[in-house]
Amino acid sequence: MHVCAGCSCLCDDIEVEIRDGSVSKVYNACRRGAGIFLNTGSSRAEPKIDGDNADFEKAVKGAQEIIQSSDSLVIYGLDTVTLEAQELAIKLAEKKEAYIDDNSTFCLGDFVEMILRKDIPSTTLEEVKNNAYVIFYWGTDPYHSLSRHLSRYTYYPRGGKRQRGYEEDRFLVVLDVRKTHTAKLAKKNARFLKVDSDEEVMRGFIDALEGRSPKVFQKDIPRILKEMEKGGFNVIFGGLGLKYGLKGDYSILKEMIRKMNERSEVYFIPAGCHPNMRGFNELLFEKTGYVNKYSFKDQTSSDEFAFHRLLEDGKVDAALIIGSDPLNSLPLQYARKLADINTVVVDPRETFTGKIAKVVLPSSIAGIEGGGTMIGADGTRIRLKPVFEREINDEYVLKRLLEVI
Amino acid sequence: MPITPMEVYKLLPKTNCKKCGEQTCMAFAFKVINREKQIEECTPLFQEEKYTRQKEKLLELLEPLKEATETGLIVDEEKCTGCANCIVVCPVHASEDPYGSGSGFGPKMEDPIYRLEDGVLRIINVKKCRRYGKNRILCVACRENCPSDAISFLEG
Amino acid sequence: MPLEFSRFLKKVSVEVVVGRWSFQVEAMDRGKFSDEFTEKSAVLYLNEEFGKSNGFREGDIVRLTSGNKSVNLKVLFSDIAPENGAFMPNSIYTSYLTDFSSFKRFRATIEPSNDRITKPEEIMQKVLSMD
Repeated sequence: MHVCAGCSCLCDDIEVEIRDGSVSKVYNACRRGAGIFLNTGSSRAEPKIDGDNADFEKAVKGAQEIIQSSDSLVIYGLDTVTLEAQELAIKLAEKKEAYIDDNSTFCLGDFVEMILRKDIPSTTLEEVKNNAYVIFYWGTDPYHSLSRHLSRYTYYPRGGKRQRGYEEDRFLVVLDVRKTHTAKLAKKNARFLKVDSDEEVMRGFIDALEGRSPKVFQKDIPRILKEMEKGGFNVIFGGLGLKYGLKGDYSILKEMIRKMNERSEVYFIPAGCHPNMRGFNELLFEKTGYVNKYSFKDQTSSDEFAFHRLLEDGKVDAALIIGSDPLNSLPLQYARKLADINTVVVDPRETFTGKIAKVVLPSSIAGIEGGGTMIGADGTRIRLKPVFEREINDEYVLKRLLEVI
Repeated sequence: MPITPMEVYKLLPKTNCKKCGEQTCMAFAFKVINREKQIEECTPLFQEEKYTRQKEKLLELLEPLKEATETGLIVDEEKCTGCANCIVVCPVHASEDPYGSGSGFGPKMEDPIYRLEDGVLRIINVKKCRRYGKNRILCVACRENCPSDAISFLEG
Repeated sequence: MPLEFSRFLKKVSVEVVVGRWSFQVEAMDRGKFSDEFTEKSAVLYLNEEFGKSNGFREGDIVRLTSGNKSVNLKVLFSDIAPENGAFMPNSIYTSYLTDFSSFKRFRATIEPSNDRITKPEEIMQKVLSMD
């Protein structure tokens, strides 16, 4: 059995068949996960200098020189690589007094930080499977982003106190701006709330909890709260839609969860896609007390040190991008500035950012060609069980880069 | 798309001639959809020229029957994201494989009805399905929990 | 030459919702420079009723404009698109059109186009030549 490091579910029941040195069949993985295994050989990155193919050693030397000569370096990405590689990246940032940031700054880092600071109560997927009754998906469409989330961990499986199946033993609540595929699953014993303003809906829950009639979903909100009391153990999965819906002000989310907890247990778990985003957040938090956008020079975290802000403000002369493709995922007005500085990309596959980088270093695909540890979105540590072993992986590359500092 | 007995009936001769062994054309229509009778058993339809157009339409209508399994199940892999909701909700899986698919994992039973292979749903052993055989139940648990309509049944 | 009614259609203003789409993510792992990536990413999902009432057919190529940025995308109908808006999978196409303030939902206009679908390489060229 292998672990799929495709998303933050980190499903550990994946079986594969190998033929002629490559994966020929995958069992139990979702479409996205199976694709990673089956396409192990597709669009692989080659070592490159200034866009031209280069010898690996020469490319390493090129990257070493960029990092050595940089006065203001940022290390970015890291959410698809192992804890072991993340640790080396943090060490490199510390030694270089560099900035370090990951996708969580514009993804779900705020939620992870609230959990690590114990501002909101959280739990594990195992506990959810065994105990949860009302299950909220708020601003997330796991059918597409975390495909096995409902079947393996939350709504559908039988476990612990919840042995009678979803129709009797669970209550599903989906909140989104559109009727997603996940929302379509909210049928019997379930609600879909089409949300325009997240704040308005949270205010509605708070009003109902304080004995006032909610201004929105007058019937649904009291019913959901009643179900929550009946269930005793409930969970909210919050996604990017919720993060961007709240526009950076989480006070109402915290207030709602606090008030809900006066009646019945309610936990919050981020529903984010990156397999080891939480791992990076936890490692940096342990070391610095902050989860992302950190400056080792200034010894603090700040919005100014967010990767896109550093690029926008022209504060960095070099960028080391590991396991991420900002040109695909960040607003391009910021990401394009990577073409103006010394950019080094470390990635197993070809990326858009690789096309504009000074140096590209290939790596291995975590979970398939390289082992290590990752932390799922719920904080559970999972050991990867790679199918193959490849010498050149993120850890190896980072060790080589550390040699010169 | 499901085919209804009424759609089939409308295109039959509607003479209740009983040559197929059924009492009525409607009863025959039901059995055709359930694959208990072959459309060719309606001999007038194939022998009498006046039914030619009806016959052609009917054969076209019944085309998906060939792709469907003995339970009328059709899986459209193109639409499937491999969420496995169907595998976990299946009552047969839950009772025969409680600690495997019943608990959300990949099936641990010998020959499950369904399994995820290469990221999409594959039918492995339709004989275990509650819709199979004489005493079948028209269970739709898997289809009900497939939000992208990757699973359909001929009978609806 | 057939009449091209699409030429007479007006611009339609919509809100575009951005999200994950399993089929697009799968194509990304096959290769970001593959035709499949473009085919699955350069798509504007519209609700069938909304699309038809505004004169769009499935497979049409449309020009989607947000601010001063435009891309050409293929229209597909899906019931997961917002009723009076559009859905796009997140990729280099949405990254080009959005800023953080509009990261998951942005306003845009749709109009018919006789051009072909924009390729990722063309977006890269456009942004790299911006001042």
